[in-house]
Amino acid sequence: MNKEELLSKLKTIISPYVQNQKGLNNLSEDTDFIKDLEINSANLVDVVLDVEDEFDIEIDNDSMEKMLTVKASITVIEEKLAAK
Amino acid sequence: MIGNDIVDLQFASYQSNWQRKGWLQKIFTTAEQQHIHNSENPNRMVWKLWSMKEATYKVHQSYLSHAPRYNPLDFHCSLNGNVYIHNHIYGVKTETTKEYVHSVAMQYDVNYDSKIMQKGEDLKLRLKQTLAEKVDINISNITIEKDKNRIPRIYIDKKETNIGISLTHHGEYSAFVIEY
Repeated sequence: MNKEELLSKLKTIISPYVQNQKGLNNLSEDTDFIKDLEINSANLVDVVLDVEDEFDIEIDNDSMEKMLTVKASITVIEEKLAAK
Repeated sequence: MIGNDIVDLQFASYQSNWQRKGWLQKIFTTAEQQHIHNSENPNRMVWKLWSMKEATYKVHQSYLSHAPRYNPLDFHCSLNGNVYIHNHIYGVKTETTKEYVHSVAMQYDVNYDSKIMQKGEDLKLRLKQTLAEKVDINISNITIEKDKNRIPRIYIDKKETNIGISLTHHGEYSAFVIEY
């Protein structure tokens, strides 16, 4: 899976939790889930669970800790996919 | 240093489904999950423990000045109001009503002012008014700015102070705390 496909899948996953649509339209690797998209912190766990389901991977606490930006999330997903 | 967190219970029930498979396990320790399951009102216990963790995260992040992290599982709540994170202990006071849960976390037993407000009211203005009265200065001399880790800091006459503050909002409610 290339980065564009990964980014597109991630965008679909986070969309239901985004409270700032403008941030979603301008989505890039630098997008911050809380600052730019105003995702509620209690919904970040839903993002993590949806990512686990979509990519059939398991995200441990140490990886979850980093998943606050698009870039960090893509790195975590790539690492977990490579380790499968 | 001080932290606070508010949960609008009605908004939370619409925004989050904590009964979703895997949800509790990602956020709460086994002991905390037991507290939730044994509670007379599991929903309120979920949000009480969550707000304790969030309020403590804020004071802890402010104290260590670290970059944002998403590590709720590292914060261990005890029912007497203490929250443990690595080698640190914080005391948390939680107020629960039918409408909201509000937690205030601090390192030591400090004096603080706290205000819960409805959506639409100017939280930062009210915070500044409260502080201006307390330290007897003009409100126009006070500014609130976020640092590089997005922790709010109080400036008086453009100089950074060590007055601990914390802001929170969720659904129909917002709140602040100021530590003296």
